[in-house]
Formats: sequence, structure tokens, C-alpha cells
Amino acid sequence: MDAIRTKELHKHFSGVAAIDGLSVAFEQGKVTGVVGPNGSGKTTLVNVLSGMLPPTAGVMVIGGEREMKGLRASDTAYHGITRTFQEVRLFEQMTVLDNILVVLTERSVWGSLFERHNAGHMKKVETVLTRVGLWEKRSQLAHNLSYGQRKLLEIARVLAMTHSDHIGQDASIFLFDEPFAGLFPEMIKVIVSVIKELKEAGKTVILIEHNMNLIRELCDHLIVMDSGKLLAEGKPDHVLAKREVIEAYLGE
Amino acid sequence: MGIIPQIIANSIIAGAIYALIALGFNLIYRTTKFFNLAHGALTVVGGYAMFFLYKELGWNVYASAVLAIVFAGFVGYILDKAIFRQLRLRKASQMVFLVASLGLLTVIQAIIAILFTSQFQTLANNSTESRVYTIAGGIITQTQAIILICGIVVLALLTLMLKKTMFGRAVNAVSDDEEVSKMVGIHTDKIIGWVFFIGSAIAGLSGILVGFDTGLEPTMGMHLLLKGVIAAIIGGVGTMHGAFAGAFLLGFAENFGVWQFSGEWKDAIAFIILIIFLLFRPQGIFKK
Repeated sequence: MDAIRTKELHKHFSGVAAIDGLSVAFEQGKVTGVVGPNGSGKTTLVNVLSGMLPPTAGVMVIGGEREMKGLRASDTAYHGITRTFQEVRLFEQMTVLDNILVVLTERSVWGSLFERHNAGHMKKVETVLTRVGLWEKRSQLAHNLSYGQRKLLEIARVLAMTHSDHIGQDASIFLFDEPFAGLFPEMIKVIVSVIKELKEAGKTVILIEHNMNLIRELCDHLIVMDSGKLLAEGKPDHVLAKREVIEAYLGE
Repeated sequence: MGIIPQIIANSIIAGAIYALIALGFNLIYRTTKFFNLAHGALTVVGGYAMFFLYKELGWNVYASAVLAIVFAGFVGYILDKAIFRQLRLRKASQMVFLVASLGLLTVIQAIIAILFTSQFQTLANNSTESRVYTIAGGIITQTQAIILICGIVVLALLTLMLKKTMFGRAVNAVSDDEEVSKMVGIHTDKIIGWVFFIGSAIAGLSGILVGFDTGLEPTMGMHLLLKGVIAAIIGGVGTMHGAFAGAFLLGFAENFGVWQFSGEWKDAIAFIILIIFLLFRPQGIFKK
């Protein structure tokens, strides 16, 4: 089954097509890699899929539901979609702990004014922060973290979206936009194992990445984009051996 | 001793009023990132709601105050839902927000003038009744003591709310990055609506206090707003303790200036301080 699918998707920025009639499917429980040269529309695709940008034309289908013309950012979590950003976006003026805690927040305003977070929330925060090695940094402001730590905190925030005990928020589709870029090997290892765990748990992962070794290691399926169009797709080894892919990607 | 203690007392009272306006204004600004000029109108709404309930209907002073404050909060909430939220959905520019809120300020002040006339009104029953305290040579009325207490209590409650509650964390998250807040499932519209309610209720409270201290005029909103905004800017826009500090700095500068020069200088001094800060320390006393 497809976790998420697009049909004839277009996204234009003042007349220029960043996505140009893209029809792709992301299978549930699999890791799908998205590669392509810079400016091929990878990040735009993730922005449309996560509701940050409305598509110019075309439809998307999430989890076999009805076709819809784009998603609103406020519905992203409701549909079980969560993402990271190429340029990390954290709640800068909040502590590492609060960055995670706020994701678990009680949603009724009255309740959230007077109820304290419960032990379950704290346990969850500790689990996800420990997972990425940031528990020790929990009282620091997100703003003061190093580049790598910021990327890891975003991963932790994504993990906090799973099995949260409030309504409609068990994330099932994870969009990672270049999560490994510029990281040290030990940090890469952490994120690789996180992605593998998500896959084992039956989650759908969409991964934008330039490192072909990581793509080969992690991805079940690979999509190659060029100029907003689908250039090739299939098993990573198979796709990466194709001549047109090599040309588009490396053929400067 | 002489006149100095009284000038200090006056400065503190003025500071407390400016602080109340600045705190509400700042709460809304840091969450929505636009200069909500309509905030000034909510002081008028609160003040005149109190006037209607307390003076015209003859209700009990506490019940009137609570209802007037809630009413001001509610009007702010409605303004957000009916107008500002629609502008957010249309991704309107800062300039559009600014003009819209200026328009609302004008409209609300006009409505109040139609309903209650432009005549100066006071909420205090009989000024001779009012108790007076003498502290270190400065005279403070009971109303002014209440103003000061309200300023401190509101700052404490807001700080507590933002730092300690789950609601406060959500408000901080929306302040930091509204789009990401949405995507992680925070109901940003709900949060912003309540921020408007709380900020406007504080404005309503300030209007009531001003009504008891000096009196009400439909156009007082603009004046109070300007002082609150100046206080917020020189204190460091977006920080609660900054708004508080900025308000008292402004109160002291104005009152000592009036003493040294003359009454006409009061507003000029406020703007001179603003310009000095904008030139030499645009981030304010406390940088966010």
C-alpha cells in the first residue's frame, strides 16, 4: 500500500516549474530515497508533501484516503506526517527539553494553563533525547547548540511525534531533508539507526540525501528527480547504475 | 526632602500604567509579530465597559471590574478571529496588519464616542473618599497603590504562565516559529486567540485603572498605546521584564523632565528617549 502518493503534481514559483507533473508513490513501511541534482525540486516536493506549500496543480493521496489538493500545515500532524528541515528549524529561544515537551503538550488551553506535564511526558522526553544523545544538554537553549546537535534535536522532535498519548498524533510518515549533511560519523550513525528503527516499526520514511553509500544502505526504493520531473525509479543499485541517472547527477 | 519623593511616586505610578499596556502589547507582539495598534482601543473598551456597569447600571465595583476585563479580552479575541486571523490566512504583509489595526483603533474609539459621548468621564465616585498613603514623603492614592500592585502581579503571572505552564510553552513555540508549531500539531490559531484574550484583558484592566486614577476619554487609547509601545521598544521588544523596565524608565524620565522643564515636554521626552534608543540601542535594554 502507498502511504502517500502524488498525481500530476505541479509547483510553480512565479512561472518557473520547481515540480513539473510529478506522479510518485511512497510505499508504506519502506524507506524511499529521493535524489537529484541541486534545484531538481526535492525540497519543494517535501515542502508540498508536508503542507508547507500548496501545489499549483495536481493532487496527493495520503494513506488511501480521498484525493486532496494539497495539505495545510496545521493538518500535517493530524495526517501523521512529520519532517525535518534542510536548514534546521527549532524553537530557538526554548530549552532542549521544552523543544520536545511542547510537542507533547496538552491541547486544551484551559488544561494546559493549569495541568503540569505528567510523568509519561517526561519519560518520553528522556527517551527521545537520550536516543540522540542530548539528554545531558536538556537545559540549554536550542539556540546555543552546535550545528550537529541542532540536527539531532530535530530528529528527537520527530521521534517525539510517535506514540504520543494525545489525539491523532502518531506520526507514520517521516520526511527527512538531508539529515546527514555536514555531520560527524558518530552522529550519522545515530540517525542511520533511527531510520532503521523507524522502518522496523513499520513507518514510512522519505529521505533526501546526496551520499550514495547511505542511500544504498538505507533505501528500499529510489526516486531520481531532474528539473522537477521523475527521471528514474526502482531499486537503488539498479537505478544508480542507469546511464541517464549518472549523466544527470554526475555529468557536469 | 522637598518635592523629589512625590516625583518618584508619580514616576512609579506612571511606570506601572505604561507597564500594564506594554506587557499586553508585548505578549501579542511576540506571538504574532505585528504591531497591534488596536491594543490601545481595548483600554478604552475596558474603561467604558466599567463605566457602563459601575456608574450607569450601579453594579458592585468588583463584579463590574471582572466583567469589564473579561469583556475587553473577549473583544480582543473577536478582533483576532474576525480580522487578524483572516489576514494571517491571506499571508498579509506587516504593513497591512499595521494599517488594519490602526483602522480598528479609530473605529472602536469612534463607536465608544458615539455611545458615551466624547466628554471626559471619571470612574471614581468622590475623590475625597479616596484613601491616601504617605510613603517616605510622597503621597499615593489608594487607586495608585492598586495600579502599582496590578502591574507587579500581572508581570509575575505572565512570567509564570510563559515559563511554567504547558500553555506558555506553546505560546513560546508559536512566537519562535509559527509554521513549525503548526506542523508539530500545536493549534496555533487557538493559542493566538487566547493570547489576544489575555493581552486585551490586561489592556482592559489598564483602562479601568486609568479611569479611576485620572478619567476616561474615547481617544485615550492612542495616547496610552504610544507610551506602552515606547516602553516595549526601549525595554526590548518581546521580553516581558524588558517591557516592565522600559515602562518605569519612561515613567521616571517623563516625570523628572516635567519637573525640570514644563508639562508640555512630557510627550516630547517620551519620543526623544525612543529616538535615542532607536539610534544607539535599537535592541532595547534587554535583548531577546
